[in-house]
Amino acid sequence: MNMQFADFPYLTAILLCCVAGLLVILFTPEKHATRIKWVSAVFSGLTLVLSTYLFCAYDKSQGGLQFVERIYWVPSLGIQYFNAADGFNLPMLFLTGLVFFTGVLTMWELELRVKEFFALYFLLVAGVFGLFMSMDLFFLFIWYDVSLFPMYLLIAVWGSTRKEYGAMKLTLYLLAGSALILPAIIYLVVHSGLNTFDLTALMQPHTFTPFQQKLAFLLFYVGFGILAGVWPFHTWSPVGHVAAPTAVSMVHAGVLMKIGAFGVLRVGIFLCPQGWQYWAQLMALLATVGIVYGAFVGLSQTDLKFVIGYSSVSHMGIVGLGLATVTVDGLNGAVFQMFAHGVMTALFFSSVGYIYDRTHTKMIGELGGLSRIMPVASAFVIVAALTSIGIPFLASFWGELLVFISSFKVYPVRGALAVGALVVSALFMLRVVQKTFYGPPNEKFAHLPDVSFGLGLPRMILIAVIVLFGFFPSLMFDMIATASIPLVNGLP
Amino acid sequence: MMHWILFGPEIYYFLAAILFLGVSMAGRPNPRRDFFTALILAAVGMLVGLATVRSEGVLFFEAYQVDLFSQVFKVLLTMGLFLVICLCSELDGVEAGHHPEFYLLLFVCTLAMMMLVSSVHLLSMYVALELSSYSLYVLVYLRRGRALGLEAGLKYFLVGITASAVMLFGMALLYGTIQATDINAMMRVLPGLTDRPIVVIGLLLTLCGFFFKLAVFPFHFWAPDVYQGAANQVTTYIATASKVAAIAVLIRMVAVTGEGSRYLAQALVTLAIISMTVGNLAAIVQKDLKRLLAYSSIAHAGYVLIGILSMSLDGYGAAIFYALALLVMKFTAFLVVVTVADDGRNLEIGHLAGLHRRSPLLAMALMLAVFGLAGIPPTIGFTGKLLVFTAAMHKGYFALVLIAMINVVISLYYYLLIVKAAYLLEPKEELPILAISPPMKMLTGALVGVMVAAGIFPHHLIELARAAARVLR
Repeated sequence: MNMQFADFPYLTAILLCCVAGLLVILFTPEKHATRIKWVSAVFSGLTLVLSTYLFCAYDKSQGGLQFVERIYWVPSLGIQYFNAADGFNLPMLFLTGLVFFTGVLTMWELELRVKEFFALYFLLVAGVFGLFMSMDLFFLFIWYDVSLFPMYLLIAVWGSTRKEYGAMKLTLYLLAGSALILPAIIYLVVHSGLNTFDLTALMQPHTFTPFQQKLAFLLFYVGFGILAGVWPFHTWSPVGHVAAPTAVSMVHAGVLMKIGAFGVLRVGIFLCPQGWQYWAQLMALLATVGIVYGAFVGLSQTDLKFVIGYSSVSHMGIVGLGLATVTVDGLNGAVFQMFAHGVMTALFFSSVGYIYDRTHTKMIGELGGLSRIMPVASAFVIVAALTSIGIPFLASFWGELLVFISSFKVYPVRGALAVGALVVSALFMLRVVQKTFYGPPNEKFAHLPDVSFGLGLPRMILIAVIVLFGFFPSLMFDMIATASIPLVNGLP
Repeated sequence: MMHWILFGPEIYYFLAAILFLGVSMAGRPNPRRDFFTALILAAVGMLVGLATVRSEGVLFFEAYQVDLFSQVFKVLLTMGLFLVICLCSELDGVEAGHHPEFYLLLFVCTLAMMMLVSSVHLLSMYVALELSSYSLYVLVYLRRGRALGLEAGLKYFLVGITASAVMLFGMALLYGTIQATDINAMMRVLPGLTDRPIVVIGLLLTLCGFFFKLAVFPFHFWAPDVYQGAANQVTTYIATASKVAAIAVLIRMVAVTGEGSRYLAQALVTLAIISMTVGNLAAIVQKDLKRLLAYSSIAHAGYVLIGILSMSLDGYGAAIFYALALLVMKFTAFLVVVTVADDGRNLEIGHLAGLHRRSPLLAMALMLAVFGLAGIPPTIGFTGKLLVFTAAMHKGYFALVLIAMINVVISLYYYLLIVKAAYLLEPKEELPILAISPPMKMLTGALVGVMVAAGIFPHHLIELARAAARVLR
């Protein structure tokens, strides 16, 4: 087997941490629940350290693909185990590590079938990591499905609120997406005549005719778009998020939906740039509808998790709008928004999950005045809400700003509509905060304790990251630009 | 003298069958003795099959060809028999007095299928096919409590002889047109004639006999009743080994047309689409697990046909790989059925409730098997589907692949119901932990390992399947 490796295979090491964690958990007896949690924390912490290291060690002045690892896996089919890091996937890897680790800490109080939960959780995250780092279409698709199929059990066993319905709907929707992606991948690989699944080889200009690009891009856009919550394929997402247990909601809204947007970018836009330009108008339209729709449907929700779920649809619309602009700024904004929204939603679900675990309700009407009962937990949710609104110096602000500026230039009307919808959602979010955390406290919950330090830690880490990138967005933008500028300049 | 060694595996299985014929005539029933004899014979048989995998040659006036293609399939068949016999330690679905006959028929049927995959003459194909079918008719009928088995056996028989009659008619048409019954001779003549209506019709009718075996639409409707009516072990055999043999002959017959015929391909496309859709839609509403797996077999027959109708080396290779994948995945699913239904009854999906606590290993094996059947990576089932679809895409069947993928999503619904039953549902009354013997645990573990490992490292298996397919040219 021919191989090609950088000095140390950091990317594979991340995957191996997941696999090793999975195996150790599988061979730990069920009764040692605490040990399983510590093992999970250690291995997920390792992935966070590794992905943070990669984020810092990437040489921005050089750009391009770095930390390349390549094994020729099935030569006869042109399948390679090919991982690399660039400006697009490093933020996503960092995000995954962050959400993974904080997710484990968030689930520290879990008691039901602990071993199975963490085993499936590790499998899920392994798929996510693999997808983000893979530069080979075959492996990318495998990781995509690996990250989907634990979801069914994770939601159906540990979830709440119509969990079996939510789990089935989510799984079928997402696999319907993969039913479009796989034919498109095979179509492109077969028609390239190169007998390879290597993305970098397939993305050379003039590999595909404009017609092939348009057809394949549409399939990729719809297939991955389902996962990204693109309107009108989003209906699984609020239902699934509400049904899922806290850590899974975090990974799901925080990372899995980004997989969809990332897939459109990595596979659709990389391979079919002409298809991208051709369908950009449609993408912008659907994205705008998603932003407006998510904001207005969110208005009428009474369940806290549904509010976040619909705000996710709206925020992912912003990502879609950024991708649809076909500009460097739009791309930068979109990828930044993917990262910021990931951290923000993880914080949101994590904090709301804490409140739900204590009060056993997510209904806005039944809560009230929580800031007097559990001030710290409330503060976490409020920070998440403010980030979601897009307050300056919190991470999301920069992503949204950039997307809106660039979309005004390309699609003035749609851009204006989107901004308008965001103002509406901001007003609503503030009302939710006011109703839930201020006003007269509900006597029923007066005895409940506030967040302990251990349980507060994951939320604090997430807040720290939000603030860090809120004050120093260029840390992220410089990174993304190393990938987005060559991509847009290379357009035919 | 060398020639007889080529026929070695067949002779071995023949002798084994004779042995059981003798046992069946002698004295009192002794299920343990019969089981261990059969197990050892099948295990040795598998080794014999493996040992002769590289042999090549022609026998019986060029009616019988031993090549890599046939030998690979023989290994699969011997493996299938061995696996099925592994499940026979508690053979409660068949009366103890009939156990020797049961093994006799299994060995005869395997022998017939081995002859089927090596036959390169229409007549020897027909004889081998009938021999295997008749053994199966009786095997289905052997179910304890005759009502179920009788109905299933009769239905199987009636559909089977109808298919045989149609097949004979097709063979007659072919012979009347090209004056050849030898596959190799047909291969020289046919490619130029494949667009003639009579040849297309003759070929299609000939294929009907194999469609019946594989349960392709319109010869599929025996499957649910037979799967349900036969003893669990017999169903396992029908769902695994018998399908493998059917895939082999279908490949051989379609490969006769060389580059392929447009009309034949179109007919097969139609059959593939209908099989997949009918199978998957009907499976959704099933309550009985064996019926559900029967409909899923019909759907899988459709996926296999996609590989075969591509009529290319890649396509045949993909179908061969798929045969192996089906064997492993279906067997794993049935292993769970047989183990959970420990008194030989039929199993409803609801009876799987609480399996994750009763036996975590079986629950995991079942989950992997059905995810494999659904074609979710990284399992062997996904690799099979990828190969099949790639081959079809090379021939420009974009819409067909899309339809197949939509079918995959439909099928996922009922596969998820199985997973849900095993992992989520709780039984009404508390059920005991399932006692599984250590060898069975090892077997289950090995199957799980194979399903995953062949999904992640498929390289050598793909190469083997392609090498086997290359023989057909």
